[in-house]
Amino acid sequence: MRRRSSLPVTFLVPTLAILLVLSMVPTLYAIVIALQNRELSAPGYSWVWFSNFADLFTDRRFLNAVWVSVKWEIVTVIATMVVAVGLGVLMFEVASPRLRNFYCLLFIIPVLLPRVSAAFVWKFAYHPLYGIATYPYRLITGGLIFDPLSKPGTALFAVASVDVWQWGLFFAVIVLKLLETLPPQPIEAARLDQAKRWQIHAYVTLPMLKAPLISLMFVKMIESLRSFDLIYVMTRGGPGVATETLDMYAFSQGFIESGKVSYASAMAVLMMIATVITFTMLWKRVQA
Amino acid sequence: MKQYRLRPGRLIAKAVLALAGFLAVFPLFWTALNALKNNVDIITRVPKVIFTPTLANISYILGRDSVLTGLYNSAVACGAAVLIGIVLGLPAAYAVARYPNRFAGDIQFFVLSLRFLPPVAVAIPLMVIWLQVGLYDTLPALIVTYSLLTISVIMWLAIPAFQGVPKEIEEAAFVDGYGAYSVFWRIALPVAARSLIGAIAFSFVLVWNEFLIALMLSSSNAKTLPIVASELSQQGMNVPWGILNASVVLLSLPPLLFLSVLSGFLNSVFRQKKS
Repeated sequence: MRRRSSLPVTFLVPTLAILLVLSMVPTLYAIVIALQNRELSAPGYSWVWFSNFADLFTDRRFLNAVWVSVKWEIVTVIATMVVAVGLGVLMFEVASPRLRNFYCLLFIIPVLLPRVSAAFVWKFAYHPLYGIATYPYRLITGGLIFDPLSKPGTALFAVASVDVWQWGLFFAVIVLKLLETLPPQPIEAARLDQAKRWQIHAYVTLPMLKAPLISLMFVKMIESLRSFDLIYVMTRGGPGVATETLDMYAFSQGFIESGKVSYASAMAVLMMIATVITFTMLWKRVQA
Repeated sequence: MKQYRLRPGRLIAKAVLALAGFLAVFPLFWTALNALKNNVDIITRVPKVIFTPTLANISYILGRDSVLTGLYNSAVACGAAVLIGIVLGLPAAYAVARYPNRFAGDIQFFVLSLRFLPPVAVAIPLMVIWLQVGLYDTLPALIVTYSLLTISVIMWLAIPAFQGVPKEIEEAAFVDGYGAYSVFWRIALPVAARSLIGAIAFSFVLVWNEFLIALMLSSSNAKTLPIVASELSQQGMNVPWGILNASVVLLSLPPLLFLSVLSGFLNSVFRQKKS
């Protein structure tokens, strides 16, 4: 009954045009800036073409930032998925419907918090002398000091724990909802075959949920790119450069330390190219 | 029934769940508690649970101009951006959901791909652009930038919401002589309203929590609340912790107001999948 109507054009075209302008102008301009030598302090500039990019590959701090970003991505994505699947399955197994609802509500709270708030909450909690999270350690060891945020070996994991606190718990809720959508027959069949509880999940339910779980991981990979707020508040990339991810380094090059906007933009462009290529490929794979 | 026998495995599982539930909210609860403490009660080696509460931190926070300006800026920037997202995003989502064309898949991918863009990659050029146009550090600049976020997120979430509206209802309305636009206004919007409100709330939380872009696009006038809160701590530990905790609580309250809306939204998304 749907006759030809002007609706799709009037509804779609303006929105898409605005989205295109809002996204393409900064993207293209980022590339333009990256090919120049703009600085915040000086108004003039000239074209330097690819020398910013050439400089990046000999910049050891940049290479460190790449490595930290990769570590961050791997640690947070894997830990989030492990926590999510673990808690999701546990809720599915042992919690009554009412208790499930209660846990779901609790587990959504952390992800709703602004990252800045979450970062502060845990920065206080990790304080070596007065923090609530380090208190058990002080209690057991009789007052020894443990300062996870200022040790190069633990700082990244301490910040990552906040990310997992926000996303792992939230994804646990989603994993539970996914498990609830499964038809009960295969689970019953496996139970009749005397399969143990963990076997049912490892060989029946989780493989059935492979596609949505991969999509979930994909979402987390994208969200993990937004680590800036946590790191900025909790460690500022420190101690040293132990938690300096790419966006943190780009920010400090462009704004805090030297105002080298073009250099920072070159970094941002590389990040953009890498993420767009990676995620486009992954997305096509997920959809296929 | 076999599965309800008490076994050590089940007990451990329940304990792990209880611990996770505790970890989910306790740090926030503790922060809220600290917001009510005098500094001497916070800076103790053994955490104090019993103390005489004070409202000094909260009244200090609410009395500061920078905080009030931040609150105002956040409210205006997020409110306006969400409004623009609604006006532009919902109709577009409806068109994609109900008038399939050969670009539908590409459009959806394009909208999603905006989420891949690293925020720094958007913020640096925009800062230069806004500086040149003379709008740097103003709310309009922030609103336009945030609109990119809100339009794409609302559109992304509203497409499945509109697809969930039973086609029969819309067809019946066409038979009754409704035009395409009035079907959108009078049928699709009200029927999908619950899910749409979830999508809108989500986009609000997203921009309210946004930090990096606001940090780069403001220097004094247009600072949003997250920026103001983060600056309080930059003054080192000279700022009493109670005040910082109070500002964290203030910043976290608006998103938490949407807790029930968003968890309802989550439920409706998965109920749709089941049927």
